[in-house]
Amino acid sequence: MKTKKLLTILVLILIISFAYESYNIALSKFTLSDKENTYLGGIKFYRSDFGLEKGFQVAQQENKPVMVYFWAIWCQYCAKFQTDTLGNPDVKKILEQDYVLVAMDLDVDRDVSSRYGVGYPPYLIFMDPNGNVLQRVPGAVDANYLLPIVTQVRDTVRSK
Amino acid sequence: MITFGDSILYVSVFLSAIALVGLILKELKNIDILTRFVSPMILLTTGLLTFAYLLITYYFVVSDFTYEYVWQYSSRDLPMIYKIAGTWAGQPGTYLLWVWVIFISAAWLAQTTKHATPLARRTQIITLATGIYFTVLTLIQTPFKSIYEFSNVPPGFVPPDGSGLNALLVNFWMTVHPPLMFIGYAAMTIPFATAIVYLLTKDEGWEELGRQWARFTWLFLGMGIAVGGVWAYLVLGWGGFWAWDPVETASFIPWLTLTGYLHAAALHRKNKTTFSIAAPMLAAVSFILVLYAAIVVRSGLFNSVHAFGETSTGSLLLISALVTTIVSLVLGMRRYFEEPETVEEDRGFWNKTNIFYTTLLLFVVLAFISFWGITFPVFIQLTQGLKVGVASDTKNFFNIWSYPFTIILLLALGFCLNYKESEKDKQIKTLVTVAALSVITMFLRTENFYVLDHASPFFVREPTVYKLIGSISVISIFPSLIYATWATVKRLQEYLRITSLRPRIKGIGIAIVHFGVVFILFGAVISSNFTYTMNNVNIPLSAKGNLVDIGSGYSVKVLDLSTSSLTGNTDSYPGTPIADVLANPSSFEGTSVKISGKITNLNSLQGHGTLVELTDNSGSMWVVFPGNITETIGAGLTVTGNIMSGFDTPVLSVVDGDRLDISDKYNVQNVKLEVYQNNRKIGSGVAEYLQGKGGSGTFPLVDSSITGTDVYVIFQGESGGIIPLTLKIIPAVNFAWAGILLFAFGIILIMAVKSRSG
Repeated sequence: MKTKKLLTILVLILIISFAYESYNIALSKFTLSDKENTYLGGIKFYRSDFGLEKGFQVAQQENKPVMVYFWAIWCQYCAKFQTDTLGNPDVKKILEQDYVLVAMDLDVDRDVSSRYGVGYPPYLIFMDPNGNVLQRVPGAVDANYLLPIVTQVRDTVRSK
Repeated sequence: MITFGDSILYVSVFLSAIALVGLILKELKNIDILTRFVSPMILLTTGLLTFAYLLITYYFVVSDFTYEYVWQYSSRDLPMIYKIAGTWAGQPGTYLLWVWVIFISAAWLAQTTKHATPLARRTQIITLATGIYFTVLTLIQTPFKSIYEFSNVPPGFVPPDGSGLNALLVNFWMTVHPPLMFIGYAAMTIPFATAIVYLLTKDEGWEELGRQWARFTWLFLGMGIAVGGVWAYLVLGWGGFWAWDPVETASFIPWLTLTGYLHAAALHRKNKTTFSIAAPMLAAVSFILVLYAAIVVRSGLFNSVHAFGETSTGSLLLISALVTTIVSLVLGMRRYFEEPETVEEDRGFWNKTNIFYTTLLLFVVLAFISFWGITFPVFIQLTQGLKVGVASDTKNFFNIWSYPFTIILLLALGFCLNYKESEKDKQIKTLVTVAALSVITMFLRTENFYVLDHASPFFVREPTVYKLIGSISVISIFPSLIYATWATVKRLQEYLRITSLRPRIKGIGIAIVHFGVVFILFGAVISSNFTYTMNNVNIPLSAKGNLVDIGSGYSVKVLDLSTSSLTGNTDSYPGTPIADVLANPSSFEGTSVKISGKITNLNSLQGHGTLVELTDNSGSMWVVFPGNITETIGAGLTVTGNIMSGFDTPVLSVVDGDRLDISDKYNVQNVKLEVYQNNRKIGSGVAEYLQGKGGSGTFPLVDSSITGTDVYVIFQGESGGIIPLTLKIIPAVNFAWAGILLFAFGIILIMAVKSRSG
């Protein structure tokens, strides 16, 4: 009886410390979205439909194109797409400097997703500051494919 | 408006309530007025629910789209088997399936026990109460909802066709995975009910009454999860056979605690004071975790690839889970404090009970790791409005935390299975040696055979603790794996020596199940660490019939590319088949060509027109519209125009276009191919690409060899004369499948023995 009690207490302590530790690690290291922003692949995005509104305001002031990224936490390809494609140094540099970035969580922003006809993640939509869709990039494309597109869309908007 | 189907459910609730009241009166006041109605009412309810399930199946078979559920999950062009499978494609239907199986188990209880003992009656009370609760849930989310209940549907309107089953579900596994899961969930009711009765009344027959049901649940739940794994393995994008998706993890948790329960029960049935609290608590917890799994799927709070959306019954399920948890905890605590503090002689740590108890705790720890990993992100989301990940890559969290405990579990398996009081000292020495070997091998350095893949970009982003555990060499699993195998073999030899038939068969069953554990872990570890992947293999259509070298000693031969409709409807695209145009474009020059297809890609040329990719059953090609078009991707088009010269692949310049209704919802592209390694054929078969409702599905070519290695080729749909492939060589994965079969075979042997002994 004593041994079993001891084992139980030991396991309880183990479980609680594991739970506490992993909870804190997730909060401090793996926050994907807070109230204002979404953080994916080391890039900061405005989030949700209110973020999109704000994004258009900023885009109009600074005459920048808007890129909307549709993702989901369960999406097997998104994580790799974020690190390898969006996180590619060349792509990332252009995105952060010359774009207004907005992220849509397919589990949360269902209305926006269906409004833009997006059914699966990952999915990118490029728009001019007035909200006209310039380009759609469905699926987990690689950086070589995406780089010319981000460059071309940026130049199109700049030249207007 | 109450539909016919709903009225059956209402009558079921009424009849089963009579049975429940009858039993309660008998139990509490010893009043017999309703007693003789109890069994007939239960049987009648079971009959009615059987009829209700047949009724919804009938609506699916005849495509009665005036029922919302049928409209949502079926369509006329589906083959019959998928129309039937549509009954369990969504939440309303699976609730009905669940209730039906609960009442089948209630009927079994009524027939076998005749409610002769208090134990049987009390177990039936809890079973019926659970059944009625789930019938009410079914009524709230009924599959019999008529479309005329929606205000925007005019009376008398009959939809011409249903919206169709999601393309990824049109698949053999859809016909087996959901029924296995839900039968497993529902069968958990009786072990739970007996456990609660035992906690309340100390009735010692509880374990025997629920024994076969617990094994049955273990079999069905386990096979349901396994079949889900096979399905995910065969469909691209679901992350292989196990991805730690919240829904699959949620169904795995009760299976773990149920496994713990079966171990506890094995000792409890020999000595009723052993695990007198642990065993019933594990049974209760397993049922609560089944409810939790239902919440994960049906509350809309958990974000999963199994997207079912938010529903009305999530909170009711949550309430039932909370109530059951509180009741079980209170009863468990009460029993704990009631239990006389037995002054046993101190036999030290090393005795069978303690070692088994360690095993039970290990199952609980493993279950908790999975539970916590899917739960706390949702907790943070609800309380702080933040969305968090559990690790840089979700599966890393579950893998690193589960790995050390899996090794300890294997050590416990090796030790327990052979434990003999007389040989204790020798056995402890062996255990300590193997444990020491496991620890030492953890530090071995290899190229990349670690708990976490060091080459993955996610590894560097993990916190220090995770990197540390992730750097344990997976070689460390082999000492305990070999130890467990050796122990099982030794045990099997002993069982084989037993002369009386039943214990021998049962022993063989037990040994087979434990071999299953070894097989599954071996297959999982080797296949996930040593898979070779070659991405972006593009074979031009023109190379059909020729061996194409793709590098690293591999080559591929495409034998054939064909497109067919899943339902045999092949000529839904008017005009010339695109493949004919592509095959000989020059013969169409100077004349006007008509082609049809579905828009699969769309590019605006910035004022110079619109470039549209059309795909029909035979292939796809680009057409140019002079201006902008209003159609979007997925719509059908019929166009007439001329082939433009001067391009590598033919492009059609559109003169006239018209919208085309694509009535055919499911199209399959098949590519037949052979894979060679150093000019030796290592695999052949067909890879499929299916387009239909809810996107596309990719069903790879999987060719298994005798060594357990799979050649796995993903085909992502022909486009512009290119066949895009991904080649994987996956070793040992078939060991995992074999292990699952051993699980099933072993537990069936164990069950077969019991049923003969009555």
